Amino acid sequence: MTGTATATAPLLSAHGLSKSYPGVVALDGVDFSVAPGEVVGLVGKNGAGKSTLIKILAGAVDADAGEISIAGEPAEIGSPHDATKAGLAFVHQEFALAGNLSVAENVALGAGFPHRGPFVAWRRLRRETRAILERLDTDVRPEASLDSLSPVDQRMVMIAHALAQDARLLVMDEPSASLTEQEVERLHAVIRALAAEGVATVYVSHRLDEILAVTERVVVMRDGQVVDERPTASLARSELIGLITGGQKELARSRAERDRPAPDPLAETLLDVEQLTGRVVPRPVDFSVRRGEVVGLAGLLGSGRTEIARTIFGAEGRCEGAVRVSGRAVSVSSPKRAVEAGIVLLPEDRRREGNVLDFSVRRNLTLGTLARNRMLGWLPVPSARREHRSAVEMIEQLGIATAGDRQAVRWLSGGNQQKVMLGRWLPAGAEVLVLDEPTQGIDVEGKEELFEIVDSLAAAGKAVIFISSDFTELVALCDRVLVVRDGVLAGELRGSEINEAAIVEACYAVDEPLANAVKQ
Amino acid sequence: MTTATARIPAGLSVSAGRVLARFGVLGVFVLIVLAFAVLETDNFLAGENLKSILTQSAALAVVAFGLTVVLVMNEFDLSFGAMAGLSGAVAFTLIGVEGVDWRLAIVLCVLVGVVAGAANGILSAYLGAPSFVITLAVGTILTGIEFTITNQQTLFEGVPDAYIQIGQGNFLGLNIQVIVAIVLFVATYLYLEHTEQGRYMHAIGGNPEAAYLTGIAVRRLRLTGFMIMGAAGAIAGILLSAQSANSSPNFGAPLLLPAFAAVFLGSTAFRPGQFNVLGTLLGILFLAVLQNGLTLMDATTAVISIVQGGVLVAAVLVTVAGRRAA
Repeated sequence: MTGTATATAPLLSAHGLSKSYPGVVALDGVDFSVAPGEVVGLVGKNGAGKSTLIKILAGAVDADAGEISIAGEPAEIGSPHDATKAGLAFVHQEFALAGNLSVAENVALGAGFPHRGPFVAWRRLRRETRAILERLDTDVRPEASLDSLSPVDQRMVMIAHALAQDARLLVMDEPSASLTEQEVERLHAVIRALAAEGVATVYVSHRLDEILAVTERVVVMRDGQVVDERPTASLARSELIGLITGGQKELARSRAERDRPAPDPLAETLLDVEQLTGRVVPRPVDFSVRRGEVVGLAGLLGSGRTEIARTIFGAEGRCEGAVRVSGRAVSVSSPKRAVEAGIVLLPEDRRREGNVLDFSVRRNLTLGTLARNRMLGWLPVPSARREHRSAVEMIEQLGIATAGDRQAVRWLSGGNQQKVMLGRWLPAGAEVLVLDEPTQGIDVEGKEELFEIVDSLAAAGKAVIFISSDFTELVALCDRVLVVRDGVLAGELRGSEINEAAIVEACYAVDEPLANAVKQ
Repeated sequence: MTTATARIPAGLSVSAGRVLARFGVLGVFVLIVLAFAVLETDNFLAGENLKSILTQSAALAVVAFGLTVVLVMNEFDLSFGAMAGLSGAVAFTLIGVEGVDWRLAIVLCVLVGVVAGAANGILSAYLGAPSFVITLAVGTILTGIEFTITNQQTLFEGVPDAYIQIGQGNFLGLNIQVIVAIVLFVATYLYLEHTEQGRYMHAIGGNPEAAYLTGIAVRRLRLTGFMIMGAAGAIAGILLSAQSANSSPNFGAPLLLPAFAAVFLGSTAFRPGQFNVLGTLLGILFLAVLQNGLTLMDATTAVISIVQGGVLVAAVLVTVAGRRAA
């Protein structure tokens, strides 16, 4: 139903947008337009300029040059408030709403509270909120607190928040992050339904299958420019990858392309976990990992993968049962103990738990091994020269793209931040590496580099536990996949049994997935 | 990666904004010193006056250095003023009433400070109470203990001249308090910037979760920080009580706000947005010079307060503007 009189004028039209930061051209003469009710995919590697474009549209960043018009009228978007007034709304990866407030209150935060005299008209607010939620086909109650909702429902509330402000264009940045496959389906259904009402969506994602599934047109960015624009129907996945990378490299790595030899089945058992229970692991878990093995932990969101990983690492306090490294029982009552025992963790939430963002690359890299970089052996005083040397070594070994070891980690791309975290542990002689969602928010090229590093770690005799919601990654990388369901290890896939369909089946088998059960 | 080639080397990325952000406060400080040197040449530049500026700010500097250690880890301590008061009372009671040797009394005072700091640290780092509130509570208790010991009387009897000399005597031409402050400045600087523990403390301030997952003993370091702060409060109490040759009820309380002002002012210098001891030292001198110069110009207390507050606002604004431009 887009047949309005102004259908000829695009809803949003940006022309010649440019933006430079000291030393970096982030956006270079970008043209971008969206028609009413259109669903446009925006893709590109990290650093391609997508975020800058979005930030300019959101009024968070001022463009150096270029103009924007809304429905044919020139518009000045100098602040988030201007963007809202122009009918643009943004659904971010990180929830920007107040978790302690109710759904209705959150929806009203942007549009304003209806009131009678000086008082909030609560009943009317709930009624209006319910009306919007019905459009989104969700049974969320307006009274529910936002924190109590599942990730997909929280995202629905963000959309409701936007619709309450009469948004005509939703910009969704990685909207499927931490959603299960079924939840992504629901989200896509809502996007299509809104499109039919004339509400357009810009869908920004690294997940190309979703881009291909939900969008009508795909805009590809590279090095701050729009390099191509195609109707989705005419695009094949491989072609899209080619456009994103500039055709430099084939990145759709499959299991067949692994060049790492299968691990020695007689190799020493490096990590042995027996009858492990803890605060967040209610039922006993048993498994082991050999030298040179990459073992995947698969499971739906909320299945307990991360909890098991964190418990082995001592991040959840005391635990019962045995954890042995090279046959030696170790106490993993704290991360400090785990690190001393040779177990290290790359946490899931990189921004919050990963690096000290204000620290330089060097200081982050040496944070775990400061005692190895002393000026004198007995004096706990770090030597800048030694730190520099060991940091440079890691930067070279892992191919960390940085302007130098004194660059603040904050300015590195996600993939490079991830490498810095890994690099923190390699000189420490870590034997067991637990990588929790290490590819989250990382572009294809970064993923490929990370895979190569994991391969080389395994080849060097380390034991790697790899957690990912993207099962294709597990298929491409793992020698063995353990399936976690409801906090227990519910299945194991080896060698040729490992394929996406088998993992999905094992994840959903028997009872309803927890993520959905929680919702009710 | 594509972005790496586009970036310029970190060493070349010097911009006017960055310089302003780092050295703006220092620049304003120099201007103020020059202004007083011109306007009040004879009084301000007199050797005695300059020395007295240092002497008057020594005890404040000591607590400000300790406070920097705590703030680096994003924790608060509001108990050090009360700690200083308690320390003076304990010293005068032990020496004057109980006849304890003054050197031993000083050691015991510092020990009391460390214990009080440990209470703050255990309650906040180990038992999870927010340090802002818990140190306020502990401070109140410390003042209560002080009043119990002294009956809220000013103590001034029975303390040997050797003790008084700590606050009034000179060494190498400088007041001994100043020497103590300089030694503690160097110690704090080396500790925070050149030891493993110091580095870990900065990491805790930057990202406590990451620090914990790196295997850093976050709680123990926080405890250590509070213990250092407690010792600093006790030392300041000894300096002040020695200087005035008495211990009046809760005499440490006025240290609280100026110490915070100096540390926050300092956090806008050299490493903008981050607490650093060098900045704290600048903050202390900044406020002391302002106070001294304005007093020499016969400004009233009211005027001095307004100017000091105004300068604090201006310094912060200069830094914020510089950061934005950077």
